[in-house]
Amino acid sequence: MKQFLVFIGKILLVLLLSAFALDFIYTTVFAQSETRNKVENVINSKPHNYDVIILGTSRANNHFVSELFEKEGLKTFNYGMSGAHLFETSLLLKLMIERNWKIKNIIVETDLNLSNEKRDDGTFGRFMPFMHQSETITEHFKKEPDFTELYYVPFYRYIQFDAKVGFRAWYKTLLNEPTNTLANNGYYPLGFNPKANMKNNIESLVPLRNRYFEEIKQICKANNINLIAVTTPMCSNVKGMDYFKKVKALYPEIKEYEHVVEGDQYFSSCGHLNDKGARLYTTKIIEDLFKK
Amino acid sequence: MLFNSIEFLLFLPTVFFLYWFVFKNQLRAQNVLLLVASYIFYGWWDWRFLSLIIASTFLDYFIAIQLGKTDVSKKRKFLLGISLVGNLGMLGFFKYYNFFVTSWIEAWSSVGITMEASTLNIILPVGISFYTFQTLSYTIDVYRKEMQPTKSFIDFAAFVTFFPQLVAGPIERASHLLPQFYKNRTFDYQNAVDGVKLIIWGMFKKVVVADNCAFFVNKIFENPEAYSSGELFVGMVFFAFQIYGDFSGYSDMAIGISKLFGFDLMVNFKFPYFSRDIAEFWRRWHISLSTWFRDYIYIPLGGSKGSQWFQIRNVMIIFLVSGFWHGANWTYVAWGLFHALLFLPLLLFNLNRSHLITKSYGWLDFAKIGVTFLVVCIGWVFFRADSISDAFQYLAHMFELKSLGLSLFYKTNANLMIFGLSVLAVGILSLQELFWVIKKRDLPKISAFGALLLVLLIFFMGSFKNQMDFIYFQF
Repeated sequence: MKQFLVFIGKILLVLLLSAFALDFIYTTVFAQSETRNKVENVINSKPHNYDVIILGTSRANNHFVSELFEKEGLKTFNYGMSGAHLFETSLLLKLMIERNWKIKNIIVETDLNLSNEKRDDGTFGRFMPFMHQSETITEHFKKEPDFTELYYVPFYRYIQFDAKVGFRAWYKTLLNEPTNTLANNGYYPLGFNPKANMKNNIESLVPLRNRYFEEIKQICKANNINLIAVTTPMCSNVKGMDYFKKVKALYPEIKEYEHVVEGDQYFSSCGHLNDKGARLYTTKIIEDLFKK
Repeated sequence: MLFNSIEFLLFLPTVFFLYWFVFKNQLRAQNVLLLVASYIFYGWWDWRFLSLIIASTFLDYFIAIQLGKTDVSKKRKFLLGISLVGNLGMLGFFKYYNFFVTSWIEAWSSVGITMEASTLNIILPVGISFYTFQTLSYTIDVYRKEMQPTKSFIDFAAFVTFFPQLVAGPIERASHLLPQFYKNRTFDYQNAVDGVKLIIWGMFKKVVVADNCAFFVNKIFENPEAYSSGELFVGMVFFAFQIYGDFSGYSDMAIGISKLFGFDLMVNFKFPYFSRDIAEFWRRWHISLSTWFRDYIYIPLGGSKGSQWFQIRNVMIIFLVSGFWHGANWTYVAWGLFHALLFLPLLLFNLNRSHLITKSYGWLDFAKIGVTFLVVCIGWVFFRADSISDAFQYLAHMFELKSLGLSLFYKTNANLMIFGLSVLAVGILSLQELFWVIKKRDLPKISAFGALLLVLLIFFMGSFKNQMDFIYFQF
């Protein structure tokens, strides 16, 4: 029996040592990179000064043309992330503050994402390598049901989120292979798609008094940042557009911009403007909020 | 409780510790412990269904005692009848009631007669087909006077519910497993190490091979029209490896866990995808079920004796029943029929024993393996599809060969990553099994270094995010 327990012990020891070693190797590589995605670009950054930072989901990422802000002399970066929920948006802002960024204005897209307080695993995974590196990330994730295993079991977080921070991402990071995520100061232009499905049904969505939007408001207030919360356009054939009225009722400070660009020729899909539409939308935002 | 769950990771060492350290050399206490542990293991899903197992256990225990007391043929038949009706009645009600009701209504509506009947919202108790067959084998063996009824209710109940193989087999024969509960068991280092290695190998098949393949299989079978012929072909092959990794992985783990407690279970899979014809496939696939059907249905029906018509009838019965055993859906019956049609020519031309497992492989055999694998894969489409028409549509679309593109597998980073893992896992599995087949092994034999390597592969390649239930639990 003793011999058997030694055998089991050896297996467990090898497993544990490998997990520690791989955890260390993965974390070290990810800690050196700041050019492959917006999360690491913030986490591994030095202090920056910005006139405008844009936050939100893909509906921020594809709708706010940074270049148009820059033309007005406003130093701008679009940190909208496809798929992100306000859970991750709030964390990204906290990390910017933790890294002593000086930000004058934050534009946050607040529309469909208000209906959700859960995390988005795809975006959440990108924070995993930095869990032990930042007190802010640890605190933000503490209430997640799988926090304990993600935080304490070595390498477990890389297994759980292997699509985002697994071997492939690690290998490409090691080679310092760039992505186009940070091009155009974070704005990602979409083309016109004639086959796109130009209808949507959002009747089931209900906006919440979202705790992460509340966090964003508090952070901005505490750090003297001008917060501009806006809605963004949808295509013409959407069922349940009264959702936006509910948003307005819940948060009167959110500015209504869902109707400023109309016509499906300006859309790439029902929820996303194409580049032409995004330019119209951004121009309107700049005129209304930065020129008046 | 799943073998690949955190709960089981705590459950197994606890039972192991109590078994070998607290109740060491106390046979009765060890059997009681196994019984209690098995009830906890099963009750973890739904404690209400424990009542079914307990009812089945009581029924067969007392029937067997009564069978042991009488030689009167009529009375013996009557007692066996009670056991068959009781056990198959429970199985039939929980597994097939809704199927028969809806099939009956559909049959009448096809000739223009509308009928109304209500189906029931019945939950299928996990593993009911497995433990029902296991306990039936006991009563039938006692009826045939091939074994003596046991007097110990604890031993019998522990045999019926033995947790390593309770929910997905191997379906043990009473004559093989039950006597092991009567004997003192001493800890054997080599046996236990072999058990751990088998558990690791089974876990590799489940979490690395099956669960990675499942990611694409589920996508493709959910909406086959959306995919190219090439993607459908890969989906079909991946399902073949998913079901093999899933089911044989469970069997390997069951055999391995049993070894930790000093028990020996029967081999359930002998590298079936290296079969040279369908007859050999059935000598290598789900052996505990196919031999059960052979011994308790096929041979009593006359087996391969008698006229050709009798032989054909018996083969059809055995394959259709085998298909139906898997689930209450015509797709399983179609799968059984498909295999029967592949098997019959071999039987009629007396070729069904031309590839016995012990026969060595020649170069030409590898072509036969490829052809057999392909037809087995086609059969799996019927097994996996939601309906027979879906299966035909899947195959028709696949053989259209309109597009061979494989863009699904590299459309996103995640897809490419999982596809790479799946191909690598299937490659490792196939090469390793080829080695064992050539060495004529019945069970995997893994070195200590190999076991360590597998542990690392499970850890780093395992699909923990897309963890699936074992497919055969639903049967």
